[in-house]
Amino acid sequence: MPYKLFEVDKEIPEREKHIYVKDSRDPSEEIPACNSKTIPGCMTERGCAFAGVKGVITGAVKDVAHVVHSPVGCTSYGYGTKRYPTTSELPNGEKFPIENFNLKYIIGTDLKESDVVFGGMKKLRQSILEAAKEFPEANAIYTYATCTTGLIGDDIDAVAKELTQEIGKDVVAFNAPGFSGPTQSKGHHVGNHTLFENLVGTKEPLETTPYDVNLIGEYNIDGDLWILKPYLEEMGIRVLSTFTGDCCHDEICWMHRAKLSLVRCQRSATYIADLIEKKYGVPYMKVDFFGPRYCAENLRAIGKYFGLEKEAEKVIKNRMDVLYPQLEFYREKLQGKKVYVFSGGPKNWHIPQPLVEELGMEIVAVSTMFEHEDGYKKIKERVGEGTVIFDDPNSLELEELVEEYCPDIILSGVKEKYLAHKLGVPCVLIHSYENGPYIGFEGFLNLTKDIYAAIYNPVWKFLEFEDEIKASEVEKGLLDTNLDNRVQIEGTEVEDVQKYNKKGEVE
Amino acid sequence: MSHANIIKRDRNVVINPLVTCQPLGAMFAVAGIKRGLPLVHGSQGCSTFVRYSFSRHFREPSEIAVTSLHEDAAVFGGRRNLLSGIGNLTARFKPDLIGVISTCSSEIIGDDVEGFVKVAKDEMREKIGEKADKVEVVSISTPSFVEDHFRGYDNGIKALVDNLSCDPTESNEKVNIIPGIVNPGDIREIKHIMGLMDTDGIILTDTSDTFDSPLRPSATQLKPFYPKGGTTVDEIRDVSNSLGTMSLCKYAGSAATSMEKKYNVPSTVGPIPIGVQNTDEFVRRLKKFTDSEVSDELLDERGLLVDSMADLSSRYLFGRKVAVYGDPDMVAGIARFVCELGMEPSVVCTGSTSKDFVEDMKQVARESDGPVEVLLGQDLRALELKIKEDPLDLMIGNSDGRLIAQDNEIPLIRAGFPVYDRAGYHRRPIVGYNGGINLIDRITNTIMEKYYDKTHWKLQQ
Repeated sequence: MPYKLFEVDKEIPEREKHIYVKDSRDPSEEIPACNSKTIPGCMTERGCAFAGVKGVITGAVKDVAHVVHSPVGCTSYGYGTKRYPTTSELPNGEKFPIENFNLKYIIGTDLKESDVVFGGMKKLRQSILEAAKEFPEANAIYTYATCTTGLIGDDIDAVAKELTQEIGKDVVAFNAPGFSGPTQSKGHHVGNHTLFENLVGTKEPLETTPYDVNLIGEYNIDGDLWILKPYLEEMGIRVLSTFTGDCCHDEICWMHRAKLSLVRCQRSATYIADLIEKKYGVPYMKVDFFGPRYCAENLRAIGKYFGLEKEAEKVIKNRMDVLYPQLEFYREKLQGKKVYVFSGGPKNWHIPQPLVEELGMEIVAVSTMFEHEDGYKKIKERVGEGTVIFDDPNSLELEELVEEYCPDIILSGVKEKYLAHKLGVPCVLIHSYENGPYIGFEGFLNLTKDIYAAIYNPVWKFLEFEDEIKASEVEKGLLDTNLDNRVQIEGTEVEDVQKYNKKGEVE
Repeated sequence: MSHANIIKRDRNVVINPLVTCQPLGAMFAVAGIKRGLPLVHGSQGCSTFVRYSFSRHFREPSEIAVTSLHEDAAVFGGRRNLLSGIGNLTARFKPDLIGVISTCSSEIIGDDVEGFVKVAKDEMREKIGEKADKVEVVSISTPSFVEDHFRGYDNGIKALVDNLSCDPTESNEKVNIIPGIVNPGDIREIKHIMGLMDTDGIILTDTSDTFDSPLRPSATQLKPFYPKGGTTVDEIRDVSNSLGTMSLCKYAGSAATSMEKKYNVPSTVGPIPIGVQNTDEFVRRLKKFTDSEVSDELLDERGLLVDSMADLSSRYLFGRKVAVYGDPDMVAGIARFVCELGMEPSVVCTGSTSKDFVEDMKQVARESDGPVEVLLGQDLRALELKIKEDPLDLMIGNSDGRLIAQDNEIPLIRAGFPVYDRAGYHRRPIVGYNGGINLIDRITNTIMEKYYDKTHWKLQQ
């Protein structure tokens, strides 16, 4: 059987079907069970649907005021958590008056007990009006249901519809209360459908060209978009709309006018590309720009679509000529190092292969928080024999994985990073990056440098006090860390809760 | 003597809140218990956002479990989720304590959390026998739509004490301390002062090591990972035998009052010992509870703070206008200290609507040279507009105000929670005499950089 039950999961054996070890002799089409509810109390790393819609899909739009219909908590947590910077430029050549407006403000209805008892619609109405008054610059208002308003049954769609008329700007309601769906992926889905149904096709672009594309599922994390856009522009392709990195509200409204949609994050945004194709006949192409080979292949495919093959080759050559000489040093340093990638979704199939091909690293395990079947199929295709592929890992599994597979580095999020460090393993943030951006040719070099810095951080030589220092170690210098000599991690395992003395120390 | 001008929020919406909802406070309270695990009875976001917040502030792991409520639970109730959550957590993590924390969802669907906890304990007893009794399960009610994270912290500490404390036997000669939502460095400073007064404390609860634990693999408890330190369950059982309880947080005195009523353990509530006068008050109270002398070493530490005030205040700080924002007790403490330095806390801003805060600010105004604009129950947007209207020299508060500081070219001294755009702030105290020294250095250096570097000859001696 290609499935594996971790030792730490013996009390929750249902986890076994979520953990698949790649075995090509296994003829079945099997993949780990996914997109299903988490086992309560297992210490999951997953988030909620509200995080999926506001945190991922809509929060990147530069000229919109966001009103969260919630008790104060969801509003606080929706503030400044994701790294998607914006420029002030608008398609009509004007500048949006507030810089980084999307990162700067979040608005909430601050629901109290009486609102829960008597309903919050009146307060939502007043709040949206106040938001419009406070930020007259905003070109639209997006409002969000949360657990509280989902449960008390506030009809936020009705309020949005009514106020769109009254304010004279689009007011869009997103119905993805935190409890809906098993993961944040539900919020992505709601975000796509809501934006499509309410906005796409409602406005016309100032001008169109035969080379207009939608760049869908590109959220400009740490400036990713600002790497990608010049590639396309140099080829002679115009990005008509980005969904939703550094985009403005109007761009979403005229997505139906593109000649082609490019789908970058295929987990969170294939939905809208699909909807646009069905209704408006705009075809879409799934693209992958992580790592130089995928990046080149996909630029070629786009070039071919528009008859711009030569232009694509030029872009590729210019970047490759700069990138490859620089990668050499890192390839030598990172060869054979073992990696565990724990991403939200698609980075599990974007990242591993380039690390193997370009840097000679070895992928021991991959896992995602919210990937679905189609994503896991791709992941399975792209990882090597014996790689552990697991869905929705919890922190105890992470510990066992580190113990059994000894990764030299973990690529994950901030919640896991500091646990990894306590386990003696370096970790690079892969959701919002460390010193990104990580996409494209230049981005791959950034990622490589961050991985190098994490693994070769001299600290790993000093994890424990040594009574004597070997002369040979001193000669090597600090940056010549040989990981095989790294201090072996032997934590204290305590079986019984009673093995503590009164001071709380392990006896 | 000046006047405090109270300005309340005049709109419905909150824009860039300075508070969050109750559950965070309860999670913080449980995180200070050795082998204690918060189990949030709600949606996954309720735990994930808080883990994210704690991890980026402390740069530490933050293990918080969740019962993963979904649509079915919204319709049929979350009983099954909670029972299985407690069962799984117990079996796999072998905690000493689970704090079951309610949320808006579980409160609205009307789950009887306390009742479910009893059932869960019975189920566990059937499954694993006596071992089940070794895991304390405490339910903490924290409806997110009532007040803010301070109420959640207060409810958390009170639930822990009410559920775990035993009837008094003989004095343990200790003093119970409720530190409030403060940093590891602050709790360490409190313990340091108590050490100099030769007094042991029971910290309710002690996050000083759990949120700042060493990277020392050979001494780390793994599978499951538990951070070093934390208050033990046994210590909490023992609180009724203490000489007294001091809540250093005005907004978290319920447990102190409850112990006084139930066990006759005398208590004091607030103020947070920031600055000379507040720290003196803390030391006087400690002296009274323990009947001990103030040690020479402690008086020397006080002297070091006073010495730096004599050296620095009049020359660099006098008359400068400061905005202080964040949690109400921290703001009250820092505002008072700012007055002690001869500066003017011309704007203070908190998300809380507490009357205690108003009283504190009236006192601060009496001690200040200039009027104090008190933004009560307000948010960072209100602070931003106020600062644009009346420019000032310095801001003190959390990282969420950094863009206001940048836009208005006002230097920002980071303090409070969260601080994610600078390093080490969780480690250095702002309470006690050492905290005062740390703060005055930070303030003075910032002033020098911003207002003196251009005329560098003024800094020659």
